[in-house]
Amino acid sequence: MPREAEPSINQRDFVFSAVQQGIRVDGRTPLQARQIAICFGNELGWVECSLGKTRVIAQVTATVTRPSPERPFEGILLITTEFSPMASSAYETGRPSEEEVTISRMLEKTIRRSEALDREALCILTGKKVWALRLTLHFLSDEGDLLDCASVAAITALRHFRKPDVEVVGDEVTIFSPEERAPVPLSLHHQPMCVSFAFLGPANVLVVDPTHLEEQLANGTMSISLNAQREICVLQKAGGVALPADEVMRAVNIAVFRVRELSDIVSRALEEDSKTRVIEVR
Amino acid sequence: MSRFEPLNAGNLRSDGRRPLELRSFSAQLTTHPSADGSASVSHGLTQVTACVYGPREAKNRGQTMHDRALVNVEVSVAPWAGEMRRQRARGDKRTLEFAASIKATFEPVIQTTLYPRSEIHIHIHVLQLDGGLLQASINATTLALIDAGIPMLDYVSSLSAGLYLTTAMLDLTSIEESDLPSVTVAVLPRSGKVTLVSMETRLHVDRFEEMFKLAMEGGKVLRGEMDRIVRERTAALARQMEGGGGTKEEDKMDTDDL
Amino acid sequence: MSYVLPGDVLTPPAPPPKSLKLGPGLLMLHTPGNPVIAHRPGVLHSTPKQQHWIETESRRYIPASQESVIGVIAYRAADAYRVDIGSAHLATLDALSFEGATKRNRPNLKVGNLVYARVSLANRDMDPELECFDATTRKADGFGELKDGFMVECSLGTCRRLLDSKHFLLPSLAQKFPFEVAVGMNGRVWLRAGSVKATVAISRAIGMLDDRQTSDDEVAAFVQLMDV
Repeated sequence: MPREAEPSINQRDFVFSAVQQGIRVDGRTPLQARQIAICFGNELGWVECSLGKTRVIAQVTATVTRPSPERPFEGILLITTEFSPMASSAYETGRPSEEEVTISRMLEKTIRRSEALDREALCILTGKKVWALRLTLHFLSDEGDLLDCASVAAITALRHFRKPDVEVVGDEVTIFSPEERAPVPLSLHHQPMCVSFAFLGPANVLVVDPTHLEEQLANGTMSISLNAQREICVLQKAGGVALPADEVMRAVNIAVFRVRELSDIVSRALEEDSKTRVIEVR
Repeated sequence: MSRFEPLNAGNLRSDGRRPLELRSFSAQLTTHPSADGSASVSHGLTQVTACVYGPREAKNRGQTMHDRALVNVEVSVAPWAGEMRRQRARGDKRTLEFAASIKATFEPVIQTTLYPRSEIHIHIHVLQLDGGLLQASINATTLALIDAGIPMLDYVSSLSAGLYLTTAMLDLTSIEESDLPSVTVAVLPRSGKVTLVSMETRLHVDRFEEMFKLAMEGGKVLRGEMDRIVRERTAALARQMEGGGGTKEEDKMDTDDL
Repeated sequence: MSYVLPGDVLTPPAPPPKSLKLGPGLLMLHTPGNPVIAHRPGVLHSTPKQQHWIETESRRYIPASQESVIGVIAYRAADAYRVDIGSAHLATLDALSFEGATKRNRPNLKVGNLVYARVSLANRDMDPELECFDATTRKADGFGELKDGFMVECSLGTCRRLLDSKHFLLPSLAQKFPFEVAVGMNGRVWLRAGSVKATVAISRAIGMLDDRQTSDDEVAAFVQLMDV
């Protein structure tokens, strides 16, 4: 397994001295994030999100299946992450690297453990038929901060997706195709999104939305998932440099602002897209 | 089935503790003489053992770094550890993530620059689970590293905390963990800085700060306990080295705590 | 100037010249008629002296003799350094291949240092070798350790353009502020300017030049609007 080459001493010294002066290598200030661009595919539930040069595609598909015996009235949500060498030559298909495990676990905790999706609303016939949703994330390009990009793509895809309308009469279940009846949106309790930070240099300067080079040079990283209602869903600072409690709280407050910004961007993008889609009523 | 009450009318928790009271903590060093360092830690009913091997020649030479040691962590949970017997797969993502967070916690604390191109391997065995797994593993690893004589900047002391309405509680059992929002924190007690923060449950930002800071304070108190145990054992070792000959009564290790 | 694809047959100018010099990207086949075909996609360039070659955009460096490259020290062996120049293999830089180096007096390079070196040996069957001095004069001539500064990576075509003295970018930047730059033929450029802001500005300008979606005019406008 080829290990990625470490950045040279010149790179490290320059990035640290620059961030000490409040400038980052791509011209941003420490608390400035890159531009997010969201575009939708033809199918409902297909979203491509790019954060600078980092790109992630999220896709939601739904099938009808039997529920699990322990939870007969809940639907199923399966989140899969596909890392491929396309994103970066450091990734290999097969055995997941540490970074892949971290990212996919954070996404699981953010979306599934925090109960973002109302699974009871996915039930069609208790004990017999429920919707099984599959959220697949493809990581196309890694220029740093894959996690944030992926979480935005995932939430946007879940909000964009429409499941086919169903009618239940007694034990009879009729699933209508999109031509017969307009498909219905999913029911989301809340929309959590991740914000990642890195700490650079001997003074541990906090930067938002680190690039790939900054991630390699960071003394420590921290990721916080929040929703727009100011609730922390996941807070993960797994090791790295030791910080005083106030720095952690400062990062939390910055993340609150950022998530509000992201929620607005996502809502606007979804609105723009809905104008282009025509739903005929016959 | 009676509903679980985190805090009853008398302000006592389900196991009779007060909100800020820790479970009985005990630790033993050198539980596995074949390893370079080992320790067994228990918080109440949760029991975890850590073994440290190294610094030694790395098994995977391609992964070594030219100027520092590589820290490897492997975690295995015994099938009988939880409520129901369960054999866990080796490459389980949750276990891998757990191991990665422990590795990231100790890498900056261990003086890895003293042992370039070598490997320090930490193996964690979970024997009994009753909440506070991450905290017990980190505390066990700290003691095992001290037992191995590997230089570290400070103890890494870890504790979990939870919040019920407005009352913060320390050192949660598994039934409390599944019911309340909780956070696990690992601190370097001497500097008061936090090196690991892990929260997986939903909690409002305003209520988070109090619980978080309380967990850090608790971590500092726990360090005192760990330090006492290490010093007792070192004193016993020193006595054996100087005195030679038979062991005294007070030098025999206490096995009643487990 | 025409765009060619691999397999395109090139017709020689009429009347057929006595000798054709074929540069990178062109191949003469040994089939009857000896046609000249392109084996890389790109723009075909020709000079009146019958030199022909194809300019291809690529990012992976293939070592060629006498080219100047920027390398990162990856390992320190007994008498030599193993240097990463972005090619398929690590290159070897002998510890004595520096100006004024003797057995007792050697430069002390660490893993992670940047060096500007010349490819002295590039054989496809062997690891490439580097030297940090000019072959004839044995003087440093700019080669050697690169201290401080910052390195950006770009495509090979961008580096060739930057090395062309008639290209607009570096002179227009020089009018704004003084800076030092070392361009490696392996897709790496090292910069050092007086202030952090200036260095970041140059690196962003090079990044924009490298980005195929920004035109030269946009880059020129960016440089004009630069405020350092």
